[in-house]
Amino acid sequence: MTDLLIDIENVSKKYTGADRYSLKSVNLKIYEGEKFGFFGPNGAGKTTLISILCQILPFNEGKVTYYLGSKPIEFHSIRQKIGFVPQDLALYEDLTARQNISYFGAMYNMKPNEVRKRSVELFELLGLSAVADRKVRTFSGGMKRRLNLIAGLIHEPAVVFLDEPTVGVDIQSRNAMLSFLKEINGKGTSLIYTSHHLDEAERICDRVAIIDHGDIIASGSIPQLLGENDVEDLTGLLIKLTGKEFRDNV
Amino acid sequence: MYKFWESIKKEYYLLVNDKTGLTLMFIMPLLLVLIVTVIQDSAFRMVNDNMISMLVANHDKGDKGEELEKMLGSSGMFGITNGTWAPEELNELVRNGEALTGLYIPESFSDELSTNTEQLSNLILANMGLGESDGNSLSGPGSVIFFNDAALQENYVLSITNVIRTHLSVIEVRQMLGTMYNQLGVEEIPEEVETAMLSGGIQIQRYSSAETLPTPNSTQHNVPAWTVFAMFFMVISLGTNLVLEKAGGSFLRLKAMPSSIAIVMLSKQVVYVLVGVLQVSFIFGIAWLVFPWLGLPRLTLAESNVTGLLLVVLMSSFSAVSYSLMLGAIARTQEQSNGFGAISVIIFAAIGGIWVPSFVMPEFLRLLSQLSPLHWCLESFYVLFLRGGDWAGLAKPLYILLIFSLICQFISYVKLRRDQLI
Repeated sequence: MTDLLIDIENVSKKYTGADRYSLKSVNLKIYEGEKFGFFGPNGAGKTTLISILCQILPFNEGKVTYYLGSKPIEFHSIRQKIGFVPQDLALYEDLTARQNISYFGAMYNMKPNEVRKRSVELFELLGLSAVADRKVRTFSGGMKRRLNLIAGLIHEPAVVFLDEPTVGVDIQSRNAMLSFLKEINGKGTSLIYTSHHLDEAERICDRVAIIDHGDIIASGSIPQLLGENDVEDLTGLLIKLTGKEFRDNV
Repeated sequence: MYKFWESIKKEYYLLVNDKTGLTLMFIMPLLLVLIVTVIQDSAFRMVNDNMISMLVANHDKGDKGEELEKMLGSSGMFGITNGTWAPEELNELVRNGEALTGLYIPESFSDELSTNTEQLSNLILANMGLGESDGNSLSGPGSVIFFNDAALQENYVLSITNVIRTHLSVIEVRQMLGTMYNQLGVEEIPEEVETAMLSGGIQIQRYSSAETLPTPNSTQHNVPAWTVFAMFFMVISLGTNLVLEKAGGSFLRLKAMPSSIAIVMLSKQVVYVLVGVLQVSFIFGIAWLVFPWLGLPRLTLAESNVTGLLLVVLMSSFSAVSYSLMLGAIARTQEQSNGFGAISVIIFAAIGGIWVPSFVMPEFLRLLSQLSPLHWCLESFYVLFLRGGDWAGLAKPLYILLIFSLICQFISYVKLRRDQLI
């Protein structure tokens, strides 16, 4: 195991007006260079936890510490080190792909020539070079997802949070995205990932945490968790740990 | 500063790609200004330049009816057409729109006038001890019959009948004096008396508040009014812009970035305030350059207070931006923002005096109009264009607009904060 990246200590979150906690005293350690996955049914608390780790949401109790090279990162520097690929396509549909990336790059304090250079590279890697000057509105779902990924990675973050990054995309786009993620992980970028595609998770993740009702009910490497629970795959593990009832979030 | 500049660039690209929004903000108000000004200008000219059509049926056997007719004709207010219509026919003609007014002078008009003035002068002379009363009571002055189109407003009709009454009074007084002079043995009224009588009344010295300023006309009202309306219609574009950023997740992405939502909000405001300034420049420019070519009055700008004009334009634009942001922050969907935005601006325009000047509204609507930001924008333009543009006059509307804008900004902030977007 390498250096500690994120230390989550007793983090609890209760939304204003809610009658129960969305996260209950969550404790977890994530290490540099890891490909870590959060899984669980709808409403389990995965997106809430990722939002807290990205500093989008405040939390009520506990502590989250970020490290880089075993040194804690100053609070105000954290956002520069993280990348966020949200579940929603948080893009400006009336701007071109290049204009979107230029804007997000600038918001990450990148200089125009840095953004230009990096975006050319990423457009090429994710197959968007030919359409970089087209409005996002004209893109297919897969193209938008790939651009969404580029927007979160433009500034070469130390860690990337991916909230269902491949939802609704075709097999080619998904394959390209996963290969790309593996590639950047190989270069040292940590990945923190959530998805309902458990087969995909098995391909990507080194370690996973299963969340249900705001609790982490299991965590560890995939082979370790499968062995401990005597199941063959992540689907079986999830069903065994969280049950078969529908979670319709009503 | 770099992030701010990039945010402004982003807003600019979003704006120029929003063709519907641009049409609503620039083309629609221009069409409105043109159409409404042309319509109101015709009405304005009809009232000010055209004479009031009048059918006169003079059946008088004496000369007083003709005298009245001549006086009405020479007043320059009436376009007279003569005929021998009976009262019913005259009524029918006016009702059918042949003329706006009709005047029936009966056969006995001169006789009745003479009899009445003779009786009256006898009475006056007897009271003064210069003659004897014949003991008869006054027979009454007789009458003429006036008809008017039902479409004419009551105060307008009253003005016309007052003009007729004034001319009748002149005839009556002259007749009575003539009779009195006759009874005193003087054959004719001395010329100097008649001249003094006709022109020696108390003069009305008229001063208009717009005497040294541009003359109020349809352009001076409509151009600022519809420009203000157009500024507030940016609610469609800016409201949608904000709703899409909230709903699309861009705000969340920005929250995860080492940036501030304040930069995003500020850049939106800067771009849209400039849009407001452009709207004013565009519409005022057309009204100044093109209107005279279309036969419409040229817009006259308040050259005396250029700083005031700039401040009014900026403050009006800032109010429109603040209101649009507030609606964008409150609305959950584009439909909510567009629907409520458009309807609320139309209501604000209606009560704010954009369509009908607020001084002609009933009392309660006049009070209500003070709640409309469009009313205060328009008021500040009126101060500039029709009331000399002094700072004392501008202070009140500008303060109110500033308070309105700050309230809107505060509500936007609270709402975005409650939604944990900032």
